[in-house]
Amino acid sequence: MNVLPYDPRHELVIRRYPLQVYTLVPLAALVLQAWLPLMHYTAYFAYVDLPLVVTIYFALGRRSPVQGMLFGSVIGIMQDALTHQAIGLNGITKTVVGYLAASVGVRIDESSLLVRVMLSVILSLLSSAMYIFIVVQLLGLEKQWVWWTEILRGVGNAALALMLYPLLDRLQVRD
Amino acid sequence: MDSFFARYRNLRVLLTLRAVQFIGLATQVRRTSAGESTLDTSDGKSVRLIRVWTASVITPFERILQGGTSGISGLWTNYIGLRREHDQNIELQKTIDRMRLEEAAMLEDARQGQRLQEQLGFQKQYIYHTQIAAVIGGSGTDHSRVIYINKGSADGLAHDMAVIVPNGIVGKIREVFSHSSQVLVINDQTSGAGVILETTRIRGILRGNANGQTQIIGVLADNRIQPGEKVLTAGGDQIFPRGLPVGVVKKVVPDPDRDGFIDVYVDPYAPLNRIDEVQVITSMQPVLPSDQQNDIATSEALKGPEAAAIRQHAIEEQKKAAALLAERLPGLTDPNAPPSDVPKPADTDIRVPPPARALHPDRFSSEGAETRNENESAAPAQTKPAANSPTRQKTEKPAQKPGSGETGKPGSDTTDKPKNDTTGTPKGGN
Repeated sequence: MNVLPYDPRHELVIRRYPLQVYTLVPLAALVLQAWLPLMHYTAYFAYVDLPLVVTIYFALGRRSPVQGMLFGSVIGIMQDALTHQAIGLNGITKTVVGYLAASVGVRIDESSLLVRVMLSVILSLLSSAMYIFIVVQLLGLEKQWVWWTEILRGVGNAALALMLYPLLDRLQVRD
Repeated sequence: MDSFFARYRNLRVLLTLRAVQFIGLATQVRRTSAGESTLDTSDGKSVRLIRVWTASVITPFERILQGGTSGISGLWTNYIGLRREHDQNIELQKTIDRMRLEEAAMLEDARQGQRLQEQLGFQKQYIYHTQIAAVIGGSGTDHSRVIYINKGSADGLAHDMAVIVPNGIVGKIREVFSHSSQVLVINDQTSGAGVILETTRIRGILRGNANGQTQIIGVLADNRIQPGEKVLTAGGDQIFPRGLPVGVVKKVVPDPDRDGFIDVYVDPYAPLNRIDEVQVITSMQPVLPSDQQNDIATSEALKGPEAAAIRQHAIEEQKKAAALLAERLPGLTDPNAPPSDVPKPADTDIRVPPPARALHPDRFSSEGAETRNENESAAPAQTKPAANSPTRQKTEKPAQKPGSGETGKPGSDTTDKPKNDTTGTPKGGN
């Protein structure tokens, strides 16, 4: 992992995207996440989290914790609204993920594929841990969970990131 | 101070956002009197605005995607394939689906009738109207197993309506929007459906687990529950009508949390992970729909004599059972009753036990006690009631003179029927 020393020029490497990308990509992520698990050949898509992967990508690329938090908060709350559970569970976890991804992106060279994959795995596991903690410990709701499912989810998110991030890189605005 | 706030601006934003979201969460979760946390269900018919907004944004795209895939598959099946046969197949499939529902309801009714549970005041609810809907989306996560269908309140759907497929139950409607609805599938952890095992008649609650499997919880350990047994809806949850197929028992394992209890894993009939179309039960009535009543009448008419013979056989069986019951329960048989009220088989040998002899006769002893005891020592006890009791006379006469025409005498019906029953030749049995 390449740790960059502090350099004011580093802020110039912020990725920028057209406004449509900021709206359509999260929307597409939500729609596909809701629709693909119903298909026969993509039923296992329910075990990955496409909105989380998109949140990590934009937070890493923008390198702004506030923007990462707001992005994660909105996409998480919309994801919650599609479920039958309390609204805010995914909102809180993705807010924190957006903040951490952006904070790490300031200090780490995020263009490396290995860094992206590792960050996806770690942040995915952190997201799952926060989700279960909030549901079970904080809210006291009855919830069963299986630890290896969450590990598989982290690996699946990393694999998804591996395929998706190069495609999203093509959408950024080139100077 | 200003530099402090400027330096930790991101952290402050994070904490503020989290605080707002936690407060929002706390307003949705309630603590019950039993000390358990639950989501706010004080008004089950209302829908949170954020869900309405999100559904109105997401579901149009899902409709387009679903319509596109359905259109492509429809192009293949309808135009490239044999369209006419396909249409006929669809019609036949609908008929089969309807007949499956009828069969399930009828079969369960028959069993219920055998157990005489009508006396408990159960009121059977028959499916009157269903609304066919297409599945257009889901929650997208295994933490929440819900699906979205393309029918809503504008189509007559309402909260807590049962959602089924012809094979079995799927779930219930949880949220209703104007043109779409959210269905909670039975393999979700928060779902619950009252079910009953078909043969053992053990009841339980069906719900999902973390892996998306359906299981019946809260069942006491019972060796009679075996894999392969059918599971039906019990009808007590006021959502699913009684007798709908749910699935079959897959395996039985001890409950890891409670001693003496078991978890019954159920393999659902409905393909919960790949459902294209569902039926929403929009109306239930205590009588069968008119078209189903017509079907039954037609079926009865076609059966004709066969159905009458079966019915007569059933009546004879009931009479035989009543006679055997009366024989085995002497407390219910009054030897002094009129002959028509005493149903006894012809070969019944009534033995009246002699009264016990008093060791020290006194003024309370009957005067004829000694005389009667002397007569009993001279003659067999069983011949006495035969000579004096009209019941005994009538039970022996047909046995001595079969077919002599004396069955037409008063009181002969009571004695003839058990005799016929014991010979195993029910009237009209063939």
